[in-house]
Amino acid sequence: MGPLIPNGVIPAEWDSIIAILIGIVFGFVLEASGFSSSRKLAGVFYGYDFAVLKVFFTAALVSLIGMYYMDYLGYVDITQMYVHPTYLWGAIVGGVIMGAGFVAGGFCPGTSLCAVAIGKIDAIVYVVGIMIGVFIFSELYFLFQPIYEGSFMGNVTLVDSFGVNPYWFIFIFTIVGILLFAISDKIRAKVKKIFY
Amino acid sequence: MVKKKTAKFLAFRYKILALIFVILAGGLVLLPKYEKHEGIKSEELLSNIISPERYISTDKLAHKLINQDPSYLLIDVRDEESYTKYTLPNAVNIPLAKLLDEDFEMFLNQKQYNVVLFSNDNFYADQAWVLCNRLGYKNLNVLKGGINQWYKTIINPEKPLENMPAEAFELYTFRKAASMYFGVAYPEQYKTATVAKKEPAKKVITVKKKKKAPAEGGC
Amino acid sequence: MKELEKTKRISIASTLFILIILIAVLSYKRPKHLYKANSKITLEKMISNDYFVSLDEINNPDYVLIDVRSQFEFEKGHLENALNIYAPEILSDDNTAVFEELKEKNKTAILYGKNPNDVNAPFMLLYQLGYDNLKILTVENSYNENKLITKNTEIEKSVADVNAFIAESIKKASINSDKEVVVKKVVKKVITVKKKKKAPAEGGC
Repeated sequence: MGPLIPNGVIPAEWDSIIAILIGIVFGFVLEASGFSSSRKLAGVFYGYDFAVLKVFFTAALVSLIGMYYMDYLGYVDITQMYVHPTYLWGAIVGGVIMGAGFVAGGFCPGTSLCAVAIGKIDAIVYVVGIMIGVFIFSELYFLFQPIYEGSFMGNVTLVDSFGVNPYWFIFIFTIVGILLFAISDKIRAKVKKIFY
Repeated sequence: MVKKKTAKFLAFRYKILALIFVILAGGLVLLPKYEKHEGIKSEELLSNIISPERYISTDKLAHKLINQDPSYLLIDVRDEESYTKYTLPNAVNIPLAKLLDEDFEMFLNQKQYNVVLFSNDNFYADQAWVLCNRLGYKNLNVLKGGINQWYKTIINPEKPLENMPAEAFELYTFRKAASMYFGVAYPEQYKTATVAKKEPAKKVITVKKKKKAPAEGGC
Repeated sequence: MKELEKTKRISIASTLFILIILIAVLSYKRPKHLYKANSKITLEKMISNDYFVSLDEINNPDYVLIDVRSQFEFEKGHLENALNIYAPEILSDDNTAVFEELKEKNKTAILYGKNPNDVNAPFMLLYQLGYDNLKILTVENSYNENKLITKNTEIEKSVADVNAFIAESIKKASINSDKEVVVKKVVKKVITVKKKKKAPAEGGC
């Protein structure tokens, strides 16, 4: 049956409308769970709040497990799912830059827009900074192009590149995730409490 | 008292949730595996198979070809040798062995044309049809009787006997005219006038490749 | 108290999550007949052409004849020791049990019908469902004065060389008349289809 759009259950013209609806819900949930606060976000790096890590990891686990159950039961064809293409070095360099920006500014691109929506001045400055970064990147694209388009690995997932059984992979991934939560809780207990 | 109990129970809530996760993930590992179903349900395939709906008669096809109906696309599933020897006008050659090649998928899995599969008889064409039908391809037809029937009815139609009904004669006239269209010459054709032998135009068919635009997303 | 408020939300969410999974699992109906051979394997089998049996080979103790015509036709006349399984009912429980049994006993089921084209599709269906102990009897059955006549036939035999026939007819016609055959060429027709291309939407967090 699914995925719904590639199989024509929902016409492709609805793409943007659905995207807007999902975006609204996503933004609402981000704001409602306090992710528009840069102190909460930066807490992951200073060790006093691991909500971001827990939320995103849990979301990944829920969707992963749910998707594979749906695939098993025949509701969704997992092979038809879109997998984001991997450019290895581009991803690594980009990840480091984004991480640095995350620690320094206290927002990730999505949450910064969320914070702009509730009128935070630091977030507005942050978004302007993003735009300047985008501008510089576009202007100097010819310099970055080899790294941006280099070491292309195709639309691969971890399961593909390791060649392991996806079900075992999910099981191990779940346990790793839960261990991570436990460890992060331990760290938080040791770090001095910060009220924000 | 009850509240206290639930509070005590709920103190473990994160552990319980983690446990649910592990159980669900473990369930995926333990679930019995089976071969993935590819294509439509077998019951549906059976009902498609036994229905004669897929067949198109040679008369109807000849009619469509003469009127140059642009919505019809002919596919010859015989090998290349037979294809070069004789084929129906404008037919595309997809040998049965190469049916599932990716290059040919755009001819079979599309919505623009009524595809007519044919071979010498309809045996191989039927096989191609069953395979494609299982994969859920639409708009596919099979030429009933294949080239043999085409030869018997259109290229070399049998003259009806005197005692046959008028319809038989009408059909014969149509078939004879059709055979002239497809290149057969008759002696009496030249007594009246020089009727031009029309060579059916070779149709260049470009079928658009179905490309699924992936929806991208992030974080 | 605040602690309880917080847990309420979590428990509601987790209950819903489990409920959805339960509903999905319970509403799932496993297909009764599962394909065992995928399209590629089936195609390879089909072009291997090793699934035909001719009439003189059927006196093999391992062969079981199966007639896929309707019961009426079957009673009118059938081959000796043949079983009747009407093609549209081939997936009913009784009939699949027959095939299952034959497979277990390592016997080969020989399918036949009015002609090979008739059994072709049922044969392919059964093959894809994993019954690989099947063969097709290449015979044509007809009736003469209510007696069944079974003849061997050849699959996909070309009856005539159409090109030669056309050339012959032109030659014959041009003998009868001394006028030349004018060949009119029709202009090539090119059909182009517009390519619809959608720019993929990019997104990020």
